[in-house]
Amino acid sequence: MNNLDQLPKKNILALFMTCGFPSLVKSKKVFDTIQKNKPDVIEFGLPFSDPMADGLIIQEANKLALQKGLTTDQSIQLIKSVSKNKGETAYVIMCYINTIMKYGVSNFIKSIKGTVDGLIIVDLPFEEEKEIRKNLEKHNIYLIKLISPMTDSNRAKRLLHNSKGFIYYISSTGITGSNKLNHKEINKNIKMIKKHSYTPVLVGFGVKSKRDVKSLNETTLTNGVIIGSALIQMYFDLKMNFDKYLKSLDKFIRSIQSR
Amino acid sequence: MSNYNQPNNSGRFGQFGGMYVSETLMPLLIELDEAYTRAKNDKKFQKELKDLFNNYVGRPSPLFHAANISKYLNGPKVYFKRDELNHTGAHKINNCLGQILLAKKMGKTRIIAETGAGQHGVATATVCALFGLECHIYMGSKDIVRQKPNVFRMKLLGANIIPVESGSKSLKDAMNEALRDWIKNVRDTFYIIGSTAGPHPYPKMVRDFQSVIGIEAREQILKREKKLPDFLIACVGGGSNAMGLFYPFLNDKKVSIIGVEAAGKGSKTNETAATMTSGTPGILHGSYSYVLQDPDGQIKEAHSISAGLDYPGVGPEHSHLKKSQRAKYFGITDKEALKAFQLCSKLEGIIPALEPSHALAYLFKAFKNKFKNKIIILNLCGRGDKDLFTAAKEIGFDVDE
Repeated sequence: MNNLDQLPKKNILALFMTCGFPSLVKSKKVFDTIQKNKPDVIEFGLPFSDPMADGLIIQEANKLALQKGLTTDQSIQLIKSVSKNKGETAYVIMCYINTIMKYGVSNFIKSIKGTVDGLIIVDLPFEEEKEIRKNLEKHNIYLIKLISPMTDSNRAKRLLHNSKGFIYYISSTGITGSNKLNHKEINKNIKMIKKHSYTPVLVGFGVKSKRDVKSLNETTLTNGVIIGSALIQMYFDLKMNFDKYLKSLDKFIRSIQSR
Repeated sequence: MSNYNQPNNSGRFGQFGGMYVSETLMPLLIELDEAYTRAKNDKKFQKELKDLFNNYVGRPSPLFHAANISKYLNGPKVYFKRDELNHTGAHKINNCLGQILLAKKMGKTRIIAETGAGQHGVATATVCALFGLECHIYMGSKDIVRQKPNVFRMKLLGANIIPVESGSKSLKDAMNEALRDWIKNVRDTFYIIGSTAGPHPYPKMVRDFQSVIGIEAREQILKREKKLPDFLIACVGGGSNAMGLFYPFLNDKKVSIIGVEAAGKGSKTNETAATMTSGTPGILHGSYSYVLQDPDGQIKEAHSISAGLDYPGVGPEHSHLKKSQRAKYFGITDKEALKAFQLCSKLEGIIPALEPSHALAYLFKAFKNKFKNKIIILNLCGRGDKDLFTAAKEIGFDVDE
C-alpha cells in the first residue's frame, strides 16, 4: 500500500523539512513535532553540498546538517525512526540526484522501501529519469513529477503520462522560498496540468503563511500546498532557540490545519 | 571527423554528460539546443562569428616555435598555440562571442556568467559591452581578492560583479549562484557558461566555439611541419581550452593527447583540483562527469593556486576521453606550476597565466631529454598579467605601492 494513494481531494498539506537540521538529535524532535500533527505528506529533505535549486534558507539548513557530518545512512535511519501511521501521513524524500547515484540507485531504493512512499529528485528531469523510475515502480514508490511555469502543455502531457502520488507545481520561476505568489498564473497552469492528469496537484515554492495556504486553496484549483522554507526560517527568526522553535513550529502547523 | 561523433542527441559523451537540472530550466535548455543547432548550420551566423574572430579577437592566433624551451628540453620541438594574444588575454573570448550572438538571436536581454580567474568574466563583460547587453558576473569572494585586476576590468566594461560568499567562495559556488539566478530569471536571461561543463548543450556548444583553436593549429602545423604533431598538451579545469585544441585532432589516432590538471598541494592531499586523477563519477552542475566528492556524494572544495582551474568538476567530454583512453590526464602541483611560470617567462619572454603554467610544468617534467624531435603543440591559453599579484606573493616579491 502507498499512503500517497489516500490523499484527500482538497486542502492537502505537505510539509518539507531538511534532515539533520539543526542537528541529528534535534532533527528527530523536529520531525516528531511535524508528524504529531499528521499532515498529509512529510517531505524529508536530504542535505546536499550544492543545492542549486534551493534558496538561502534551505541552503543554510543543508549546511548546518552537513557541517555536523550527517551521512545519507543517518538521514535514512532518521526517516525510519519517525513513527508512521498506516493510511495516514505519506512520506516523501526530496533530494538531489548525486546523493542517490553515489549511494547506488538500487541500494538506495532497497533501504527506503516500506517506509517511503514517494521520491522528488529536484535535478532529475523527465529526460534522465528512466532507470530510476523503473526501479521505483518495482517497489511501489512513486516518482513525483515537477511542473514549472516554463513547462508548456505539450511537455506537461509527456511528463504526466502515468504520474502517481501528486504533482509538484513550482509556483514561480524561482528557487525555494522566493518570490510572491501569482494566483492568476498558478491557476492557469494548474488548469493546464489537470487537462493531462487526474493526479492531485500541490503548489510549492513561496508558500509562507496561513494566508497563502488559505488563498491558494480557496481561489485556485490546487489540491493543496507544500510549505518548506517558512518552517526553517522560523528557527533563525527565533535566534536559534530550539525549545521556542519546537513550540512555534507546532503552533504554526496547527494554525494552518484549523480552518 | 569520420568516426568520432560525440555527444549523442541527449548530450551523452559515452556514459558522461546529460542534463541534470530542475524542470524550470529544461524547456530553455531544449530551446537553446535547437537554436544552437540552427546557428551551427546558418552561414550568416558563422560568417558574423568569423568576422568577429578575425577583426575583434585577432584570430588566427599565431603558432609559435618556442625554440628556447625546445633547446632547454633537449628533446621535442615545442610549438605554442598563442591564444594568450587574443583580445582580453585568453581563449575565453572565442566562446563568449559565439554565445552572445546566440543570445541575441534568441531575443535575450540580460546576460549572466560565472567566473573563477576572471578571464571568462572579462570576456563576457567585453562582449556585453560590444553588443550593449546588461551583464551580471558571479564571482567567489576569494577569487575577487586574488584576481583584482580582472575585477577592475569587468567594472570598466560596465558589468555588475556579484560576490559569492557561500561554500568555498570560488568557481563552483559562483556557478551555483549563477544557476540560481538563471532559474529565477529564465525568461529574459541567457547564461554564458565559460567552460565545457554544465548541462547539455553547453559542453558541446562551448567545445565547438573553442574548436577554432584546434582547427587553426592543425592547418598551421601542417603548413609548417608538413605533418601532424605527436603530442597535444593543454591545461584542464572545466576543460574548454583543452577541448578546443583537442577536438579537431580526435580522429588522428597517432596524435597523443595530454590534459594537465591542477593538483594543488598534491593529488593525494585534500587540497587539490585534479578531478580526474583524484575524483569519481558523479553529478555536479547539470552533468555526469568526474567530480571531487566524499563517499556520500557531497562535493568537496577544490584547491589550486590558479583560480581558473580551482573547480571540483570537469567537462563530461574529458571524462569520456579519459575513460575511452583517447586522452591521458596528469596532475601538476601549485609549486611546479609556479616554477614553470617563471621558467617560461625567462626563456621565451612570454609571461603565461597560471593555468597554462600547469601544462608547461608537465612539459618540463615529462619531456626533458626525451622524445627527441617529436612535435608538441601546447595551448598557451592565457597571459599572466592577471596573476602577477598572486605569483609575486608566492615568490616573495613585494608589489604593493
